[in-house]
Amino acid sequence: MNDSSWSIFVVLLVMLSFILVGLRQKSRESQEYGFGGRYTGRIGGGAAIASNWMSAASLMGLAGIIYLRGYQGLAYVIGWTGGYVLLLVLLASQIRRFGKFTTPEFVGERYGSPAARLMAAVIAIAISVIYCVAQFKGIGLIFAFMFDIGYEQGVTYGALAVVSYLVVSGALGVPRNQQLQYLVICVAFIVPLMWLARKLGYFWLLPQFGYGRALTDLAREFRIDFTLPFAGDSLFQWCALCFTLMVGTGGLPHVLSRFYTVPNVRDARWSVVWGLFFIALIYWSAPAFAVFGRLLEARQGIAFTPETARAAADVITLKTALMAGLPGWLVGVLAAGALSAAFFTVAGLLMTGAASISHDLYYSFINPRASETARMQVAKGGTLVLAVLVLAVALNPPGLIAEITAVAFALAGNTIFPLFLLGIWWDRANRYGAIAGMVTGVLCTVAEPLLGGVLPGLASYFPVTSSALCGAPLVICVMIAVSLATPAPPEEMRRFLEQEVHGHLD
Amino acid sequence: MSRPEKSKVNLLRPKEGHMRDEVHIILAILFGWGVCTFGFQFLVYACRGTGTGSLLTRLTLFNLPLHFWFTGQFLPLWFIFLCIIFNIYADRISEYHSRRRDRSYE
Repeated sequence: MNDSSWSIFVVLLVMLSFILVGLRQKSRESQEYGFGGRYTGRIGGGAAIASNWMSAASLMGLAGIIYLRGYQGLAYVIGWTGGYVLLLVLLASQIRRFGKFTTPEFVGERYGSPAARLMAAVIAIAISVIYCVAQFKGIGLIFAFMFDIGYEQGVTYGALAVVSYLVVSGALGVPRNQQLQYLVICVAFIVPLMWLARKLGYFWLLPQFGYGRALTDLAREFRIDFTLPFAGDSLFQWCALCFTLMVGTGGLPHVLSRFYTVPNVRDARWSVVWGLFFIALIYWSAPAFAVFGRLLEARQGIAFTPETARAAADVITLKTALMAGLPGWLVGVLAAGALSAAFFTVAGLLMTGAASISHDLYYSFINPRASETARMQVAKGGTLVLAVLVLAVALNPPGLIAEITAVAFALAGNTIFPLFLLGIWWDRANRYGAIAGMVTGVLCTVAEPLLGGVLPGLASYFPVTSSALCGAPLVICVMIAVSLATPAPPEEMRRFLEQEVHGHLD
Repeated sequence: MSRPEKSKVNLLRPKEGHMRDEVHIILAILFGWGVCTFGFQFLVYACRGTGTGSLLTRLTLFNLPLHFWFTGQFLPLWFIFLCIIFNIYADRISEYHSRRRDRSYE
């Protein structure tokens, strides 16, 4: 078998095993644990957080952006891990005590405004769509690689595969086994890396440290200084990107709702620690792929021009494995890990997005008397509409995987993060402030593409991938000013915050 | 109806009891988070071209230049450490306050 047929074989095997394990788990759980599913402890909860987080951006985009931009790319590593600190200390226990499961529900309840709830739902769906575009790009690239076809075809087949997976798993009612998924994704990323390090003659037991010598070799043999800080970008750009990804993590709807799957606040908090550790395992490894990729390219005399590098960046993990001559089945394992991460992220986001269309838009606004069946049909239709929308954008992707994902984080950091932060920590924040804040947040996110031509000076403070460094504080100020200028929120909500969310132990 | 206008829930003016203790540890963790993440980048930037700057970029740890190691490897570890510290303290203050509230706990 050649490399591509090996990867098709391994990918099919992995996907099938997920469905089979899911079905087995389902039949066992309904006998032993009832329908609530089983609690897997703090470590299991952490693995679920990590598997929920892992996507094409972590497994393909991260190595790609570091390969392309060196030290600047580390802003992604820091942003996507440091955000969990913010999330843990500022929001995790409090939103759990608040007791609302989704972003629109929280906003609707806290700010007591159907309009704010509707806006939050639309924003959350927009974030999911942008996030999915990046995943579709990843899926398209892997399909193109596996079947040796063009990118457009790859992404179309990928979309078909995702929708069929949703239909099949929905029809069979397969639960996701997130612990198993994390294990597969992690092993599929790190074992090929160890093999790679061993093949290149570096310390392979911990390639996360072993790539240090490859960096030295790169500098010595080819005079490529990969680690030069702030070479092509400014300090502001680094910090803006890093901060945006951090507050975006704190505002990403599918990350926030994870805290409800653990039975108590204390276990929820500790599972974040484990989750962060599992995420960091992947993030310590991703730069190694980037460095090995650059080294192999340099050794094989492949020129590093901006255009070719940008084209190669998102598939650099697979390309590196091929250049090093890794066995075909191992390249397949690498592809299967990245593909399943992207696949399950998309499946989860499309399903929650469609549920939000059905519940928050259709049922709450358009037809409050809709029957259960009608709402179900809207949800199914919504999944398809979202998938087609995402596919349409992904056919001509506007940037690298990590960059597209960063835009979703910027939108989340500019809108949802301030809503939650002030909603939890300031009882005076009211619905007018929330609505004004969301409008400002959306404007900040689109400032660069919108105002770049007219007011380039102003737009440069809101780079499209990193608008939240200036955006989030601005939104918070707007929310405070508007809230103070308008009537206070209802007394019951203020008392609830004081007594239940912050005074449960007084 | 005689509620004072002053907010009772405010991150910057926490009410006494559990909330105040919780806010103190939150602010301490956020300080550690901000200084190490952004403070270090400022340091690297400010020291470019100086003796300290070349020390930061020439000294190596695990064959990685110090600044690259600090950002790429140490900071994620630091975040995990911060989360552990936060959880230990949060567990401790919630135990303390639930014992105060409910003597039967002892």
